[in-house]
Amino acid sequence: MAETGPQKQPDEAMLDLLIKQVTDGLSPEEQRELDVLDNEVASAYARDLEHAAAAISVAGTGEPPPMPAALRARIEAQLQAAAAPSNTVRAIGTAPQRTRTRSTAGWWAAAACLVLAVVGWLRSPPVQGPGVEPTLAQQREALLASPGAQQIQLAATAEPAAAGAKVDVVWDPRSQRGFVRFVGLKPNDPSQHQYQLWIFDGDRDQRYPVDGGVFNVPPNADQVLVPIRAQLPVHAAKAFAVTIEQPGGVVVSGREHVVAIGKVS
Amino acid sequence: MSPTVLQRMASGDPAAVRECMDRYGGLVWSLARRLSRTASDAEDAAQEIFLDIWRSAARYDASRGSDKVFIATIARRRLIDRMRKRSGEPPMEPPEALESIAWSDPASLPDTAIDAAHAARALGELRPEQRQVLELGLMHGFSQSEIASRLSMPLGTVKSLMRRGLLRVRELMNIKIEGAAGRADG
Repeated sequence: MAETGPQKQPDEAMLDLLIKQVTDGLSPEEQRELDVLDNEVASAYARDLEHAAAAISVAGTGEPPPMPAALRARIEAQLQAAAAPSNTVRAIGTAPQRTRTRSTAGWWAAAACLVLAVVGWLRSPPVQGPGVEPTLAQQREALLASPGAQQIQLAATAEPAAAGAKVDVVWDPRSQRGFVRFVGLKPNDPSQHQYQLWIFDGDRDQRYPVDGGVFNVPPNADQVLVPIRAQLPVHAAKAFAVTIEQPGGVVVSGREHVVAIGKVS
Repeated sequence: MSPTVLQRMASGDPAAVRECMDRYGGLVWSLARRLSRTASDAEDAAQEIFLDIWRSAARYDASRGSDKVFIATIARRRLIDRMRKRSGEPPMEPPEALESIAWSDPASLPDTAIDAAHAARALGELRPEQRQVLELGLMHGFSQSEIASRLSMPLGTVKSLMRRGLLRVRELMNIKIEGAAGRADG
């Protein structure tokens, strides 16, 4: 809630920008203009005005109609999946193990596993029965073989963790599924930091790429495969990037430590 | 005090997700529909808003305002961002098709949305033209230029009405909240 003590007054130009910020949003030029003004006064007023605007919105909504059931089910499943633990990482060549996930992964995960199992079974030589979960490598190969799937090479940056690393992505826009593969990326201590994948969507603001999930690189893993978990629908993937972030990942990356990046051709 | 649904969602309680949808689904959907060009746009927006809510749930502080206004703040940020990206596109609906706003009776708003009740009372004290400009901007998603053209007013007048109106609401909300806190303390 707003501070009620004596407050420095913003001038009219600042107020106009602040009002526009909470009603129309600011253009990049206007945002730069606001950034150079008195930050303390601006942020206190911005908070108050945004609160007032939101309170008016609630007051004007009355008794809102319910959200359509199909949309609600989709969002609920998405939130349950997002609340599930971060991506599992398996080194290639290790025996597939059943990962322990919270039941909150919900039917999305179950449905995805079922589809993958069936696709893997149909596309692979009959070396395993339909009841055996395909390895991530097999899932990746099956996805790569599907029409429309793209393979993107990411270039390692000068970041020390990326020295000598090779990274590629397989992405299927239709199913919104993909895998990222690393060779030679430095193992991380998950209590200190984690790797995070980002997807730049041509239909979204490039300042806010879509979160593709956080993951770890265990020691002694020559190659690592990670399934991509895009947290939002990706309409037109333009580039992929991997950064080093705090444990659990971030909503918006400061991009201080980019380890690999590659454009979709 | 038992944790709020937002606090439980932040702590990973799976039951809180459903409760969050029950509690805020209608509000988010209503705001998304009003401030999006198409139903499909509104669906995408609602999806993004709920992810934002999930990510921000831990930041909710009940001492700074009601949960519904917190949700509306997150929703508005996302919707404004989306509107800006589509600012070059044609208007979302013909001006005649504006749905009238059913302003809540402040007395009917629950105690859990006390700041919205203050806002509703404050709006009632504004000049009609200030109220109209705020309604078009905040509830129908018209830009200041669109409002100017719709009301055949100079842009400067729209800016001034909006500035004075919103500052007055802010002022009245603070006075009322301060007054309510004073009564509670006394």
